[in-house]
Amino acid sequence: MALIDNNGSHELLDADASGQLVIHAPTTTPARQPRRKSRWPARLDMLQSASGLFLAVFLMAHMFFVSTILISHDAFYTVARFFEGAYFLGKPQPLLVSGVVIVILVIFITHAWLAMRKFPAGYRQYRAFMQHKNSLRHSDTSLWWLQIWTGFALFFMATIHLYDMLMQPALIGPYESADRVWTGNMWPLYLLLLLAAELHASIGLYRLAIKWGWFAAKQPNRYRRRLRWAKHAISAFYITLGLVTLAAYVDLGRAHADRAGERYVPTQQSAPQHPGKH
Amino acid sequence: MEVIHTDVLVIGGGLAGLRAALAARKRGQKVLILSLVPPKRSHSAAAQGGMQASLGNTAKGAGDNEDVHFEDTVRGSDWGADQEVARMFVHTAPKAVRELAAWGVPWNRVEAGPHEVIIDSQRVTLDEPQAAHGLIAARDFGGTKKWRTCYVSDGTGHAMLYAVSDQTVAENIPVHERMEAVSLIHDGVRCYGAIVRNLANGKLLAYVARATCIATGGFGRIYRATTNAVINEGIGAAIALETGVVPLANMEAVQFHPTAIFPAGILVTEGCRGDGGLLRDVDGHRFMPDYEPEKKELASRDVVSRRMEAHIRSGKGASNRFGEHLWLDITLLGEAHINGKLREVKEICQHFLGIDPARHWIPVRPAQHYSMGGIRTDAHGAAYGLRGLFACGEAACWDLHGFNRLGGNSVAETVVAGMIVGEAIADFCATPEGDMHVSTALVRDCWEHESARFADLAASRGTESASALLQRMQTIMSENVGIVRNGEALGAAVEELKTLLLRSWQIGLRSSSPGANPELTTAWRVQKMLKLALCVAHGALQRTESRGAHFRDDYPRRDDAQWLKRTLAYWRDPEQRVPTLEYEALDVRRMELPPGWRGYGARDAIEHPETARRQTEIEQIRARLADADRNAVQQALMPFRHLLPPHLRGPNARLEETA
Amino acid sequence: MISILHRKTGTLPPRRLCIQVLRHNPADPASVPHLQPYEIEEAEGMTLFIALNEIRAAQDPSVQFDFVCRAGICGSCAMLIDGRPGLACRTLTRDLGTTITLAPLPFFELIGDLSVNTGKWMRGTAERLQTWIHDATPVAIDTLETPMDPDLAEAIYELDRCIECGCCIAGCGTAQMREDFVGAIGLNKIARFRLDPRDQRSDDDFYELIGDDDGVFGCMSLLGCHDVCPKQLPLQTQIAYLRRKMAVIGFSS
Ligand SMILES: Cc1cc2nc3c(=O)[nH]c(=O)nc-3n(C[C@H](O)[C@H](O)[C@H](O)COP(=O)(O)OP(=O)(O)OC[C@H]3O[C@@H](n4cnc5c(N)ncnc54)[C@H](O)[C@@H]3O)c2cc1C
Ligand code: HEM
Ligand code: HEM
Ligand code: SF4
Ligand code: F3S
Ligand code: FES
Repeated sequence: MALIDNNGSHELLDADASGQLVIHAPTTTPARQPRRKSRWPARLDMLQSASGLFLAVFLMAHMFFVSTILISHDAFYTVARFFEGAYFLGKPQPLLVSGVVIVILVIFITHAWLAMRKFPAGYRQYRAFMQHKNSLRHSDTSLWWLQIWTGFALFFMATIHLYDMLMQPALIGPYESADRVWTGNMWPLYLLLLLAAELHASIGLYRLAIKWGWFAAKQPNRYRRRLRWAKHAISAFYITLGLVTLAAYVDLGRAHADRAGERYVPTQQSAPQHPGKH
Repeated sequence: MEVIHTDVLVIGGGLAGLRAALAARKRGQKVLILSLVPPKRSHSAAAQGGMQASLGNTAKGAGDNEDVHFEDTVRGSDWGADQEVARMFVHTAPKAVRELAAWGVPWNRVEAGPHEVIIDSQRVTLDEPQAAHGLIAARDFGGTKKWRTCYVSDGTGHAMLYAVSDQTVAENIPVHERMEAVSLIHDGVRCYGAIVRNLANGKLLAYVARATCIATGGFGRIYRATTNAVINEGIGAAIALETGVVPLANMEAVQFHPTAIFPAGILVTEGCRGDGGLLRDVDGHRFMPDYEPEKKELASRDVVSRRMEAHIRSGKGASNRFGEHLWLDITLLGEAHINGKLREVKEICQHFLGIDPARHWIPVRPAQHYSMGGIRTDAHGAAYGLRGLFACGEAACWDLHGFNRLGGNSVAETVVAGMIVGEAIADFCATPEGDMHVSTALVRDCWEHESARFADLAASRGTESASALLQRMQTIMSENVGIVRNGEALGAAVEELKTLLLRSWQIGLRSSSPGANPELTTAWRVQKMLKLALCVAHGALQRTESRGAHFRDDYPRRDDAQWLKRTLAYWRDPEQRVPTLEYEALDVRRMELPPGWRGYGARDAIEHPETARRQTEIEQIRARLADADRNAVQQALMPFRHLLPPHLRGPNARLEETA
Repeated sequence: MISILHRKTGTLPPRRLCIQVLRHNPADPASVPHLQPYEIEEAEGMTLFIALNEIRAAQDPSVQFDFVCRAGICGSCAMLIDGRPGLACRTLTRDLGTTITLAPLPFFELIGDLSVNTGKWMRGTAERLQTWIHDATPVAIDTLETPMDPDLAEAIYELDRCIECGCCIAGCGTAQMREDFVGAIGLNKIARFRLDPRDQRSDDDFYELIGDDDGVFGCMSLLGCHDVCPKQLPLQTQIAYLRRKMAVIGFSS
């Protein structure tokens, strides 16, 4: 009776130098050869981080530009004209701003597309994550959830804002912006956008540092405490700055409401003449 | 009935089983491993201390070699060991360590230059040679002349088990986890595999194999207080015993460790006492100097255990809800020392006792630690009584350890025995002897017999509770068959165990959940464990001497004249209530190291009549070969190399010897 | 008595604990998952190992759970303790409230009640990630071993300490969503073999194993793994390190 099934066990046989029979174990063959794995997952991961980092840095810089309104109307006016290239080209070119917006938009969309891969795919995954998050009550896991939602919200809100900037690049200035904020009823959107963008960006930066091991210290836990502190500080600073700035626009917007649509003329006519319709 | 076929069936996924499986697999056999738990969870992972092998790389190991290791091992065994086996072992151990190194075990390495250590509470500076830098280091362990214990920080067993287990994955050896071998398929002459119960769904399967190897580890759980894992219930040994033809040897040889935390039984290292920790009783009194004025807390493991037990019996034990214990006080070592050098002890105290050992005393009590006895095999691991059955590791009595094993020798045994026994299994399978003609009727009979037993037990309306019987057995074993034994207590233990065995046929189950019913599993195992307990207790009762870990206060001397022999326990008739004991003499005339004084402990052994003659013979041989090298002398005294597979016969390189 | 000074417990009466176990027997078609409460009296130094065994011995012999070493070193007894993955055998009841909720580790195949099949998943991971030393040269067992720097040996051991308990998988949101994710344990294994000079594999080889969104690029740095690992392995830094190395491969051709 053939009860013994030896299929396969002998075809691997070979004799080694000592005359012993040995099996060609996977140990003696190089790691799985056949098809080489695509390099794209690595590149996309880098790209996701790079785009996120770029957007975050851009946002911070942008907050400083926008907040120059707090210094003076002229300061903001100057900055706006600066970005239109008024100081190198002789006259402001709002199309330049549109160009920048397009670049940002492309990066933004790329980032959103890459990040969206990480969203729960379908209800099953969504529920699994929710259940997990609620039972674990773990700060970094919850932070990620916040990032997902703020990202999702940004997708809509930032698109509207960017669309505005793309279509009306010329309408950036103390009165123009303030009118948009107040008379144009944009302030609720800006308020939400501000919160979402700042939270998303600071969490994103924190997680970038963790993800790639930047600024690593000897003790991982102490290192993380420090990073978390930095993250909170960044959020707090930018949200405060943003709120104060927004308040300034709202103020100005209300004061200027009856003359809404009027373009700002700097106190000293030092800036080049604007070619707008006015 | 589902039948699974293989060449080699290895029962047990600990270090011993895995290594044996690898050896057979590398020789082209189709191998399959069974394990109660995923292999990496086997109890081998618990070994912290280390593995002995005479590499001699360190300053304190200089001059070490197989001869020194051999003598330590035989003395440690109190001359109970099989000396040929001990020779095979010490010769192969360095090869095993080096093989493990190549497989990825991150052995701690020698750091050249001076470094400070604490020896006998003294600060000593050792200077490691430059040539040894990066070679495998070793630490000190009880009962050894040289520092010989190779180690991986505090996780030696873990690192070894993981490396060996990963090799079995590399070799594509299937492991059927959560499977319990519940009986052997045999016809009284040859073994054909095992009937196996799937612990996840309760189904019985038949595994038919040309060769079967039992490597199921120790049976510490027949004791209440044990450092062993909860799966160390000795079922592998029990099913061999139940064949009626395979004997278990030296079951009364059970080792106890002095400092297991109470009541959890988790080991805290000897380093605590080595560094200056003290033992205290209920009054806070340091009692060891009263008993052992010289060595105090640092007397050998079995001596300290014995004194502690005696002290508790004299009414000086502290107590808590779980019973009596003593205190280990390391507060005097200071927080810095404890946090640095005894980190693991600190963690155990934190996690399991919720105390800080720098401020609180640790409740400890000696606990069962290792079973020297097991399935009796020859030097190649072939079990007595059934062809085609092999055993290795703690489950076997290969007889490397005799009546007391040295710390660090057992994980070493598992891999060394695995290498040798696995090779023997492959040899067996490669010869006509390994051919098998088994009738399906036999397989079916065995399967149906076992199914019926489970069905009966599951349906039983008996009145006995399995867990109550289990607890009672464990209590008897710890109280009467523990560290200090005597005829009266042993006799009482045997009597009560006999009644427990009878009562265990009356177990009734309270639950009947489908799938793997844990209550059914316990009920079934208790019946087996009681048989093992009886082998231990009955063997201890009959052995009227003290040898190694087996200590009787009514017979305190080692008696080579009467008892230089191995106990073989048989369970020939399922109805019998105590095992049938037979004895196998150790041949003094062939010993390389005839019985003598161990170098510690009592000096008053009763001598064997042949000892003196063998001693002179040895002296003559040594005189004749005064100029020969040590290998030639050894060869003349007791040849052993022929017992090893050819590829394990080569000499071991050592730094000193190559330089 | 001096020893009294060294005990922490005062004269407070022992607490009554309510241990709620999530019961479910997949082998029984009639079984539905439900929380079953058991009342027991707390004892000095009681761990969940002791408590569960007391419940099984005295109240309900059918509860399923897995303990092996009961010393926190084998990784068998991981479960959700009040929602957090941890080793039950080394969890003292005194560190928990009077109501304790125990549930099986999510993600892994459920065997019954608190018992899950981590072993099967771990073996699959070992095969998938080829977690063994890859070295084509035959092992020389008679000659002196190849030296290794003592610090390197310790660094390897630091990563080798993983006990395959599965806590990091249960603590990882990514793993909950995506079944094929290798998890921190898988990544840590790769980091361990990468560090080991005895393993001849190059980063290109490792990229083949973990260079995708089921591998290192799938990790979203949630750090649940790092925070629940009972062996406190430096999972965060290891994953970050691997990610950097694998990203470099992504820009090689
Ligand atoms: C706390 C502690 C510390 C120790 N420290 C050291 C040390 O420092 N140095 C040293 O040398 N030794 C030490 N030892 C001893 C050493 O660890 C063991 O003797 C050795 O590991 C046993 O290995 P093994 O392979 O024989 O059995 P185990 O590792 O116990 O494996 C047994 C295997 O058999 C399986 N099994 C059991 N029954 C069945 C069945 N019926 N069916 C199927 N499978 C089954 C189990 O699942 C398991 O896989 C220590 C022991 C303890 C308890
Ligand atoms: C101004 C806008 C944005 C900024 C400044 C920004 C910034 C960042 C940064 C720095 C990261 C970390 C990158 C990484 O982990 O690799 C990140 C991640 C992420 N972003 Fe954005 N982002 C913006 C817009 C968006 C939008 C519109 C979405 C969604 C539609 C989004 C979704 C995400 C998600 C889901 C992640 C997490 C990815 C992960 O965990 O790997 N972000 N973002
Ligand atoms: C090139 C692209 C962009 C330009 C030119 C730009 C320009 C401006 C300007 C001029 C304002 C002032 C208000 C107004 O005029 O309406 C503003 C406000 C704001 N922008 Fe942008 N923006 C750009 C991209 C973004 C992006 C990508 C984000 C974030 C996701 C963002 C978030 C905000 C927020 C939150 C405010 C409100 C500021 C506050 O509350 O103080 N912007 N932006
Ligand atoms: S990495 Fe930590 S949590 Fe994960 S399996 Fe290993 S020991 Fe457990
Ligand atoms: S929790 Fe999961 S997502 Fe990464 S950092 Fe840990 S593996
Ligand atoms: S039982 Fe081994 S870790 Fe808990």
